[in-house]
Amino acid sequence: MAGMNEDGQWIVLMGLLAAVGLFFLALVINQSAIVGQTTAEGVIEFPKNDIRDLREAVFDYTDKFRTVPDSDETKKNVQKDIIAISLERKNAVVDFSVGGPQEISGRNLHPIEIRYNNGVTEYHETVYY
Amino acid sequence: MVNDRGQLYTMEGVAAGVIMLLTAYIVVSTTSVYTAGDTHIPDMQLEQLGSDVLAMMDTPDRDGKESQLVGFVKMGTGGGNDLRDAFLNNSRMRAGDPDNDLHAQVFLSYRRSDGSVNTTELSPPSDPGFTGRENAVRVTRWVQLDGNPSGIPGLGYSPRPRAVLVEVLLWRA
Repeated sequence: MAGMNEDGQWIVLMGLLAAVGLFFLALVINQSAIVGQTTAEGVIEFPKNDIRDLREAVFDYTDKFRTVPDSDETKKNVQKDIIAISLERKNAVVDFSVGGPQEISGRNLHPIEIRYNNGVTEYHETVYY
Repeated sequence: MVNDRGQLYTMEGVAAGVIMLLTAYIVVSTTSVYTAGDTHIPDMQLEQLGSDVLAMMDTPDRDGKESQLVGFVKMGTGGGNDLRDAFLNNSRMRAGDPDNDLHAQVFLSYRRSDGSVNTTELSPPSDPGFTGRENAVRVTRWVQLDGNPSGIPGLGYSPRPRAVLVEVLLWRA
């Protein structure tokens, strides 16, 4: 190999560097395509408005039926409405119960237990209303 | 005599040009990539808008008074397109673009006497462009009534207090 010219080595080395640089840039683009996918799916998936709406429906129900005994057919029917429609139209298993009034900080409040489960998100709350 | 010594230089020049263009393209496109996350953002905004409008319509003007939404639902199918028009007007209530591309379709879900849940269109006739294949978002609102809404098929029960679900499909076309 004596007498061979080595002038080309730098060119080859620089070419290699450029190739590695391009490879990294391509990697960045490749990864950026999926940025935010999980976040966006998580936000879409989370039933924020469904849960808020259910809470309000339960509060309305409490307003209307708080003095009515549990055995009342009308009261049962409204609760059945909410449970059945939630399952059918929102794919959510829902249950709620309103307890008798308790004195909380000097006010008579009803403990309301709300349970919500749509298979992905599970929500359980006891609120005094 | 013609020689072809220049050919190699030309090829090298072309290759260099291609590499430079490619690099410039990659560098520029790295900074602005339309990601999968971006596609969901307009949907999310539309859903929030619809949800807010329904919440607003379900809020009574005064304590103890009936809300606008309850009034519309009570009318049932008798109200025609009133509910949808009011909903769309409220959705477009903002400065700037009148947002005429916004379309909506309103449905009502209720439980029948046999326990099954039925869904019916609440504001007939339906939107002329509605195909059912729109990229629509669905917003819902619970409404509690003292009696039966009118014009709803198969309610079954004699009038009783009931909870029904107003569902609005909202899309831009």
